[in-house]
Amino acid sequence: MRNITLLLFIVMCLAQWLVPGKMIYDSEHVISNGTLYKFKTQPIDPSDPFRGKYITLNFEANTITLSDSAGWQQGEEVFITFTTDSAGFAKAETISREEPTAGHYLLTSVNYTTTQEPFKVFFKLPFDRFYLEESKASQAEQLYWQAQRDSTQVAYGLVSIGPGTAVLQNVMINDRSVVEVINELNADGQ
Amino acid sequence: MSKQILKELSELIQAQVITEETAEKITTYYNSQPNQSSNRLFIVFGILGALLVGMGIVLIIAHNWDTLPKAAKLGIGLLPLILGQTVSAYLVIKKSESKTWREGSATFLFFAVAIGISIVSQVYNIEGNFGRFLLVWMALSLPIVYVLRSSMASLLFISGITWYACEVGYFSYPQGHAWMYWLLLALILPFYYVEFFIGNNKNNFFYFHSWLLTLSVAICLGVLIDKGGELMMIAYMSLFSAFVIISEMKAFDTGRVISNAYLVIGSLGVIILLLTLSFDWYWNELTDTTLNAITTSIEFPVGIVITAAASVLLFLLLRTKSVQDVNSKCFAFILFIVLFFIGLNSPAISQLLINLLVLLFAVHTIRHGAQRSHLGVLNYGLLIITALILCRFFDTDFSFVVRGLLFIAVGVGFFAVNYYMIQKRKKQA
Repeated sequence: MRNITLLLFIVMCLAQWLVPGKMIYDSEHVISNGTLYKFKTQPIDPSDPFRGKYITLNFEANTITLSDSAGWQQGEEVFITFTTDSAGFAKAETISREEPTAGHYLLTSVNYTTTQEPFKVFFKLPFDRFYLEESKASQAEQLYWQAQRDSTQVAYGLVSIGPGTAVLQNVMINDRSVVEVINELNADGQ
Repeated sequence: MSKQILKELSELIQAQVITEETAEKITTYYNSQPNQSSNRLFIVFGILGALLVGMGIVLIIAHNWDTLPKAAKLGIGLLPLILGQTVSAYLVIKKSESKTWREGSATFLFFAVAIGISIVSQVYNIEGNFGRFLLVWMALSLPIVYVLRSSMASLLFISGITWYACEVGYFSYPQGHAWMYWLLLALILPFYYVEFFIGNNKNNFFYFHSWLLTLSVAICLGVLIDKGGELMMIAYMSLFSAFVIISEMKAFDTGRVISNAYLVIGSLGVIILLLTLSFDWYWNELTDTTLNAITTSIEFPVGIVITAAASVLLFLLLRTKSVQDVNSKCFAFILFIVLFFIGLNSPAISQLLINLLVLLFAVHTIRHGAQRSHLGVLNYGLLIITALILCRFFDTDFSFVVRGLLFIAVGVGFFAVNYYMIQKRKKQA
């Protein structure tokens, strides 16, 4: 009995390390081997720009226009590949139900579709949270509103995409990290 | 209790109720007993301490110190897991019997698992799916219950899987059926059995488990509602009847009505369902349903499984008790299934019979309360009648005078029955 308990305990400990360990390994793998894209953010929804200690990002590249509706269903799992537009921001290139055999792509699900031409498929971008130190949340909010009012400022997320998964590495305002901008503002204030 | 007796010993000697020799024997007996209440206090404080420290660490981690490098954040976040596992390893290897240590470290390790996953999600901005997070957390925490034989971890586990089922089935869009909930629930039941039934160890943890389990199943059964919602009433009626049947079994007897979760939830569930069914909306919807639509819905096999389980339990119960000695609500599911099929063609008849059934249960409850001289049960029966009248107050064409007279009659009934019972008790005293 004691041996079984000990064995179960060892298996439990290994499993408890396996989950965070795999999460770390997968994320690090995507960061070092994935393709880096800039995902431009739309103005933040004023009713819920922040949920606690993270910024909710609302990316523009969450849709793909197709020549026919192809019967995409809400909640269906899809594989999306990305390319960049003339300004250097990410945009969806292809959508498929089959996993691509090579290259970097994102596994996500369909949010909703339009039923009239032009047929559009809106999909989820599963990296819309950027965690910030709690004291910096309100300052980040102000910066966002500033960026929205000022058309010369551009906000985007730096996202590494590997086979199937993505890691949001940073949120940039005019090519500078939002954390860096806040730290500088705090230093000026002092 | 023991201290109270010891304090009164000198008074009892003076009054010549007991001799000095007996008093000495009583004192020796109680002094030789381990102090149960202080043990219990240690366990409670051990669990509370672990809970507070665990939740405190969660909050500190949530602050997200962005001056720390990634590796440092991960190291600090995963430290509670190392700590929790080390203490648990020590307890397992040393075969510690200290309930305080086992419960405390199990509670801490339970939260350490969540902290570990959360810190990685935070560092890599992994949005994840909250339902999946709860599922992984619970799956990784289940062995803690068995390895450390921890009742607290088991209670947290049952709460966690209930939260998971609600998150997936009620709070998310699109909603899922949370099938994994049933598997995880099945995996915790052996602990419930071994810990509390082998050796008949009915401590406070047993009561907490019974309450949580019954509430959890009652809440999560609704997650399975898909397109045949009408059929779910059969599943729920069978479930609540099964609870009442279980409460009648000797192994689940707690000696008091209020501490028997199966009886309270089961009985209230049956009555609330029947009162809901006494309105016409359910029966109107049922007439629009075809038998084919019923048999092809998810609710059909669910209803069959729960009804079969309730039937087996009833069969087992009736082998030890006669029909007259059994709580009448044990049969609610059989009666309702009959009414369900009548209602497919004659909804008005079923609706009328449901009203009569509620009345029958109420009368039976009052009779049962009077026989046992239990004021609580007796008034519960009267409350059922009042609730039935209140329900009819809204949807019948009775004149105000009739309704008024009915309320007066029930009010007088309340007074008269309670007065009679109290007088009877006084006479018996």
